[in-house]
Amino acid sequence: MRLEHAIKPESSMSTLLWLRFRAFSAPIFLLTVWLLLIIATAIYRPDFISYQTLLAVVFTMSIVGVMAIGQALVTISGGFLDLSQPSCLIFASFVSVKLSEAGMPFIIVILAAIITGLFVGAINALIIVLARLNPIIVTLATNFIGLAVLYLMFRAAEVPIGSEIHTFGRAYFLGLPATWWPMLILIFIVGLLIHQTRYGRQTIAVGGNRYAAQTRGISLKKTRFLIFSIAGGFVGFAAILFCSASGPFNSASANILQLNVIAAVILAGISLEGGRGHLWMLFLSVGLLSTVPTSLVFFGLSSDAQAIFQGLILVIAVTFDAYRSRKVTL
Amino acid sequence: MTNTAANLDNSKNFINTDRSWKEMLSGPVASITLVFFIVIALGLILVGPRFLSFSNVSITGNYLIIPLIVGAFAGFALLSGVVDLSIGSMLGFSAALMALLLNQDWGIISAGLVTLVCCMFFGGINAICIVGFGAGPIPTTLGMLTALRGITWLICGPSYTIVAFNLKLFTIVNHRFLGIPTFFLVGLLLTLIITLIVSKSRLGRHIKAVGGDEQAAERAGISVKGVRFLSLILSALGAGIGGIIMVAQITSADRMMGFGLEFEVYAALMIGGYSILRGGVGNPAGGALGILVVGALGNIIDLTASNSYFANIIVGMLLLSAVYLDRLRGGDSYD
Amino acid sequence: MNKFVKNFMFSVVAIFLISSSANAFKLGMAVGGHPCCDWMKSQGDVARAIAEKKGWEYLELNNEGDSATAVKNAQIFVQEGVDAVIQFNAQPGANPAIQQILGAAGIPVVTYDIAEEGMYFVGIDNLGAGIAGGEGLGKLVKEKWNCEPDLVVSAEGAAAGIVNTWRTGGMRTGLGNICPDIPAEKYVSFESNGDAAAGLAPARDLLAANPDAVRIAVVGLNDGGVLALVNAAEQLGRADEVMAWGQDGAFITGDNVNPRLVGSVFYFLEGYAVYAIRDVIDGIAAGNPPPVKWEADDPASQVKPCPATAAEAQLVPLEAERVAQLLAAPIGTTAYDLFCVN
Repeated sequence: MRLEHAIKPESSMSTLLWLRFRAFSAPIFLLTVWLLLIIATAIYRPDFISYQTLLAVVFTMSIVGVMAIGQALVTISGGFLDLSQPSCLIFASFVSVKLSEAGMPFIIVILAAIITGLFVGAINALIIVLARLNPIIVTLATNFIGLAVLYLMFRAAEVPIGSEIHTFGRAYFLGLPATWWPMLILIFIVGLLIHQTRYGRQTIAVGGNRYAAQTRGISLKKTRFLIFSIAGGFVGFAAILFCSASGPFNSASANILQLNVIAAVILAGISLEGGRGHLWMLFLSVGLLSTVPTSLVFFGLSSDAQAIFQGLILVIAVTFDAYRSRKVTL
Repeated sequence: MTNTAANLDNSKNFINTDRSWKEMLSGPVASITLVFFIVIALGLILVGPRFLSFSNVSITGNYLIIPLIVGAFAGFALLSGVVDLSIGSMLGFSAALMALLLNQDWGIISAGLVTLVCCMFFGGINAICIVGFGAGPIPTTLGMLTALRGITWLICGPSYTIVAFNLKLFTIVNHRFLGIPTFFLVGLLLTLIITLIVSKSRLGRHIKAVGGDEQAAERAGISVKGVRFLSLILSALGAGIGGIIMVAQITSADRMMGFGLEFEVYAALMIGGYSILRGGVGNPAGGALGILVVGALGNIIDLTASNSYFANIIVGMLLLSAVYLDRLRGGDSYD
Repeated sequence: MNKFVKNFMFSVVAIFLISSSANAFKLGMAVGGHPCCDWMKSQGDVARAIAEKKGWEYLELNNEGDSATAVKNAQIFVQEGVDAVIQFNAQPGANPAIQQILGAAGIPVVTYDIAEEGMYFVGIDNLGAGIAGGEGLGKLVKEKWNCEPDLVVSAEGAAAGIVNTWRTGGMRTGLGNICPDIPAEKYVSFESNGDAAAGLAPARDLLAANPDAVRIAVVGLNDGGVLALVNAAEQLGRADEVMAWGQDGAFITGDNVNPRLVGSVFYFLEGYAVYAIRDVIDGIAAGNPPPVKWEADDPASQVKPCPATAAEAQLVPLEAERVAQLLAAPIGTTAYDLFCVN
């Protein structure tokens, strides 16, 4: 889009429309792919469109969605990636199990899980902010250490059957799983807050151009400390969703989630460089990524072949997105 | 900005890659060398003199052949500013394909060549997406990691393992030179050669320039795309070679081969001074020392009958300390 | 007794102990190393405890579920001069290389559950255990559903390799023995990774792809795998007529057992060392090694599987308690003797 075009009066209307379209092109892209996938599967097997399929996809969305919020917050603020989510999740799950076994009320369990997540996030935050180290490396190291500590602490844990958290994992609200609604609400609230609150905008500013942010008087250290801790808090909440239905889990049970969460953040157009992105897009990317495995099962693909498709989809999606945004240079 | 001959000659003004030996050897390499000696001392104290016996060094050396070689090649990509997270799955794929071909009575050379070509093909896909289309290296190579793992599973098939014992390969890879595994020495030699290339040759300067400051490199006439494309192919090649060596050593290929290798290798490389987010920094000698340090630590844990999970904790702390030290010295700082 | 005599006797005993420890038998053990399972760690704990009781030296290494590490560990055993090795190697592809290394050094090897020529086989006949479990489930399917389930789901765990094929395949065979008329298209499977949490999403997808199935029989690699499907069915509101029979008994003891887990097959994996030591290592340590029986159907020491319904399993203590009781019992008592209620 060159300056000359923007000035031409006769195309100003189409320019405006084009700009509007461009702003929405990423979500339209995701939505289109998602719909195409659903349609293709439905053509192959019409019973794909069913309540059970919806439930299966929606349940998968819940955990990944909440974790993706935490990850997206870190990424938007210029923290690149938080690789310590698996260990944070298991820590918080472990705490939840212990408290549930002790008969604590559900609300206490939830709070404890969130606080555990905040605590783990704060540890990451302290190291990153005080030692001024790259978050990817720090979280890689803390995850490594965290998983080892978890392994030494316990082998397998499970929430007590019949406890409130156990029931929560299987409950429904308005026809959809009870674990999904918090994810939905959180994505949209956080997506809104981050652009509407001063702290949210400060976070994005820090991610976008930290020098400019500093000049404006924003404390990088405080912003980063808060955002890493808060991201941990979201993982702590995700732990409730995780252990509410998972049955017995061990220290390595959450490792496979990490790849899906990172893929969801990237597909949502939240650039790893920071400062850009809309959190509510996570709803679309998490939805798409949760539908893919289910579709592949309907297509009758073995789990080995599914992995190939999931990997290819990520590569193609990211490449296509890069190609698109390069073609339409503003 | 016009490209006069004068500007091209002034490339050195934009990118200072002209470093003296002294400068190169201080910094991360010095730190990791110090850590290396500390770990050796620790080993001698905790384990005893047999820690440095030919036998023990050979065992650790044997185990580190693959990380050293894979790390040496992966380091190229890091230097040029891209990170290839698919090397673990690439190794698993390479091992599975090699084992499959050997089982079909292919000769070692033809099987090896086909395997390496296939690895470079997938490396080429990485390169086209990242360099050609501008996709981010992390998500692209993560996707390739998953896809290659799936392909490996399909190759291994319902029996989950491919047994491929080839006497010639086994003998070659287990050959010892003066009591030390030959391939371990080859890995160290390779690191030395690559260190020289990176620090002394024009190609090395170009690679670091591309990683350090992309725009300055472009202005200096260096093909950023070409360098990065090549480095991604090399990274895949290194993983492919690693897979073939794995089949030679283990005489089989299984589903989980190479799983998690990328984290081991990159953690060790970062301990040795590389950065996975910032190109242009890192020294192959430092990377190799990082791998040796992690290997030596694992060996100490094994011989003192400690829980191997303590090794993870120590390596994690080491990683943090190494990057912290590097930061104090003026390196990669998250400000 | 005055001090002088006491000191003298003390010195004599000390000298005897020191000189005998110089020639003490050294046992090496390579544990499996997956974070998944309590029993992998316990296998090492039990072996260590028995070795200590016998006054042997003991070196434990961790295979980390990785073939390269398993080969490295074999080399370390040679270097550290162990007299015998027990290993649990989850990646049997590496076994020929390991046998080369240890065999060349003249070190006898006991390997658990997956046979390798030249290594003493101690363990379960996994195929037989699978069949036993399948037949146990088959009896319930016949009794409750007249051999007409809507679906038979196998929770696979491909990372376990051949053991997965034996167990899940065996269970399907066993089920087919009791209920031979179940049509082939009712047999479906999903990849559970042998982990209830990791297998949850794939299980949900499988159930969604079979939306009309109500009576679901579940078999699998282990308790964790089948529980993935049970929990998925609970989430999708379809668990009322799900019957799952597991393997390894990891989650069927204690007071937090899922009611849909109707049975499992105990191997008491934590206690394998008792068999290995009693039937193989003792002989080697005494200078009288038994003949090398390496095949699964003609093993050096056969561990019997213990199929149990959920009700019977209630009488079996939790794994940690089992290990404690096993170590308190006289050497040579197997976990099967102590705990199998059949």
